[in-house]
Amino acid sequence: MKHLNSKTVTGYVTIQVKGTAPEMFFQKCANAGISVWDVKKRATDLCEGNIKLSDIKQMKHIRRKTIYKITFTGKNGYPFFIRRFLKKKPLVLGLFFSVLLFFFLSNIIWEVKISGVPKDIEEKIDKQLVSYGIHPGAWLFSLDPPTTIQQKLMKDVPELLWAGVDQKGTTFYLEGVEKIVVEEADPKQPRNLVAAKKGVIMNLYVSKGTTHVQVNDYVEPGDILVSGILEGEEQLDEEESETEEREQQDSEFVAAEAEITANTWYEVSVTVPLEFNYEEITGNQKKKYYLKTGDFQLPIWGFGEPDYSEIHRESHGNNLRFFKWELPIEIVETILSEKTYNKVSRTKEEAIQAGIDQAIIQLQNELGADAKILSEKVLHESIEHGKVNLTLFVSVEENIVRVEPLNQGD
Amino acid sequence: MAKWQQRLRTLLTEQFSLPSDIILEMPRITVIGNIHLYIENHQGLAVYSENELKLKTNNGYVQIRGTSFVLKMMLPKEILLEGTISEVKFLGN
Repeated sequence: MKHLNSKTVTGYVTIQVKGTAPEMFFQKCANAGISVWDVKKRATDLCEGNIKLSDIKQMKHIRRKTIYKITFTGKNGYPFFIRRFLKKKPLVLGLFFSVLLFFFLSNIIWEVKISGVPKDIEEKIDKQLVSYGIHPGAWLFSLDPPTTIQQKLMKDVPELLWAGVDQKGTTFYLEGVEKIVVEEADPKQPRNLVAAKKGVIMNLYVSKGTTHVQVNDYVEPGDILVSGILEGEEQLDEEESETEEREQQDSEFVAAEAEITANTWYEVSVTVPLEFNYEEITGNQKKKYYLKTGDFQLPIWGFGEPDYSEIHRESHGNNLRFFKWELPIEIVETILSEKTYNKVSRTKEEAIQAGIDQAIIQLQNELGADAKILSEKVLHESIEHGKVNLTLFVSVEENIVRVEPLNQGD
Repeated sequence: MAKWQQRLRTLLTEQFSLPSDIILEMPRITVIGNIHLYIENHQGLAVYSENELKLKTNNGYVQIRGTSFVLKMMLPKEILLEGTISEVKFLGN
């Protein structure tokens, strides 16, 4: 059966041989190595048989030495089928355009679905998405990957706590979770406030609880700053009535509340090189587009290399789609940006200043925006292998309160 | 001379049980029921029509009779015949 199939693929013809003893012609063909099949005798001087398309030339060569008359009566197999098909120009054109149309339609966004958020935010998200180029009718391959869109969206729509972007075929699904600002529940639980870090108290504002420290006191981590236990005697004022006095005989537990800032200090080590290189993008750029399959890239837009001295290349690709399948063809966009290498050397003083700035920024990042850097002092400096090693002493004013729940059980 | 060769060949097949169709250059005919006939090692087509196939062999002819014959396959020394076979006959020179 396979034997026959291969003949169908390569194509074969039916020939009619006319002459005396026509079967002898087929015997001659067979002797010459041409495979002949389905030989039928139609009449005494007429014989029909099939030969492969590729054997026609050889068959004609044999015929030249004989007196047989040969006519082709049938053309079979794919080569003929395809030729017949290609002759029908409108059909071929129609098929080509329909494939092109499907290809075109499978590569555009059909729908953007937003779920999980109220109408007003939905509208806002929609607006943002349109500004990113995500709207029905946009090309799929020109979009950023979903994770990037997700990040952008979270940044640009502050009401969103989380956004899930998923692309399924030609539909964009976007699931959002709204940020609901929940008022922190009033802590009813009795608690102490203790020091989180060692430092010297600078400011003290206690709204609830018993103060255990004073301004300019030195505290170690774990020291109680404000206690949640209200002692009867301490709370007692001379103006208070006697009934209250009796109630407050036993100690009362409250949730201590206070704002306490302290002067804390940090030792920071930084290393600053005296010489350093950096790359800078000049702003000149050029875009190139490629069709990519495997390792092969076919440029389709943007030819020629720009005459930049140094080039920073950044490329990202998107797969083309056909119906639900992703084709192994990628459209790659490459951005060529001109860049310059800069080499900077600085003096020791400049390096130290840079080191201090760097240390302060780093520390501020660690401690948060509430902390205030008061002063910094270089404790130690040394130059080694073209680098300045600095040890800095930084003093900071910051909130050192840590909440510690009170155990009422014991 | 030819006779001497013939005798040697017969001896070879008998003594060493070598396949006789190779040694003696005789056709090997395989018949499946009465519908297929497969003949190898023939020397050429002599007559072919709807009802008859005559093939030359080393020592004469093989004549096959029947109806609605079609040569399903033709290779240099092989033929596959399809049709309704009624008789296979060996004809001398």
